[in-house]
Amino acid sequence: MLTLAWTYLKIGMIFFGGGYVLIPLLQHLLVEQYKWLTLREFLDGVAISQLTPGPLAMLATFTGVRIGGFAGGLIATICIFLPCILLMLIVGRYYGRLKEIDLISLTMDYILPAVVGLVASAAWSLGTTLGSIREWITLIAAFCIFRWTKINPMIMILGSAMLGMLV
Amino acid sequence: MQKEPVQKHPKVKLWDIFKLFLKIGTTGFGGGMAIVALTERVVVKEKQWVTAEEFLHGLAFGQILGPFSLNTCTFVGYRLRGVAGGVLAATAFLLPSFLIVSLLAWLYMHFQHLELLKKALAGTNPVVIGLICAVALDMGKKQIKGGAAWLLAILTFSAAALLKLNLAFVLGASVLWAFSAALIKRRHG
Repeated sequence: MLTLAWTYLKIGMIFFGGGYVLIPLLQHLLVEQYKWLTLREFLDGVAISQLTPGPLAMLATFTGVRIGGFAGGLIATICIFLPCILLMLIVGRYYGRLKEIDLISLTMDYILPAVVGLVASAAWSLGTTLGSIREWITLIAAFCIFRWTKINPMIMILGSAMLGMLV
Repeated sequence: MQKEPVQKHPKVKLWDIFKLFLKIGTTGFGGGMAIVALTERVVVKEKQWVTAEEFLHGLAFGQILGPFSLNTCTFVGYRLRGVAGGVLAATAFLLPSFLIVSLLAWLYMHFQHLELLKKALAGTNPVVIGLICAVALDMGKKQIKGGAAWLLAILTFSAAALLKLNLAFVLGASVLWAFSAALIKRRHG
């Protein structure tokens, strides 16, 4: 449990760029390093955490529950959100006076290409779980739909789950 | 550093903050910007708890520091009732999602072996990967400008996907790169 808490706290401290960087981070730590989850289970978790109003980081809750039951989920959720809540409280307090803010936001701008690279690498390794031609076609179709429409991911995920049950 | 005086709103009760963000956390399906828009409508336009300008500041910081829907809630809560308000707003916002995901995760663990559920989840897998690809491309189009940015994106991709280097190391190196670039940029205008 301590390892669990520490792992999520670490991730919570370094996630920036809108939350998607969590996918490569969690995948790397939970699947490859600690082997607490398989790639398939991880993918299922991403789908499930998209079904809530909360941020993508709800993935932490899913993986936490999977690893350590309800207590694990609670610890994972608290630890992953604690750093950014604390940071936001500090910002709320001093925000008129943060002189170095331009430096921080410039750094954040410059780091975004790295986030893109990492998110792409997560898609790459998750892609290794796909076997059949049909799955690849679904992937390409889904990609095109997300790319050219503003559809809510939740609807796509629910829809694909239903299609999955039928075929 | 001097502290910015926290705006005092004696009328806004902690209980009201909790109720509002619980509602946003329950009904705000669509995530991210949908949540921010919903929060803005209620907090700025309807209740006039914070000014539009203040809200925008909170959003700007929220975007730098991780999940901005959560950060915006924390910020608004803090401006209203200090630390207690901020923590309460964040908790209330996350609570419904936390319960939903816990329940779904529990169901997942107990019924994972059911053929129907397996099929449903297998159906979602390629869609999730498609979503991640679309996000990567979308972010790439917006954020990658110029040769140095492309180089960084390609380097991090190869390091993580092909060489399987330690991710903490890759990120650490990227932060160092970005920070130096920011310093240089600031010095030379």
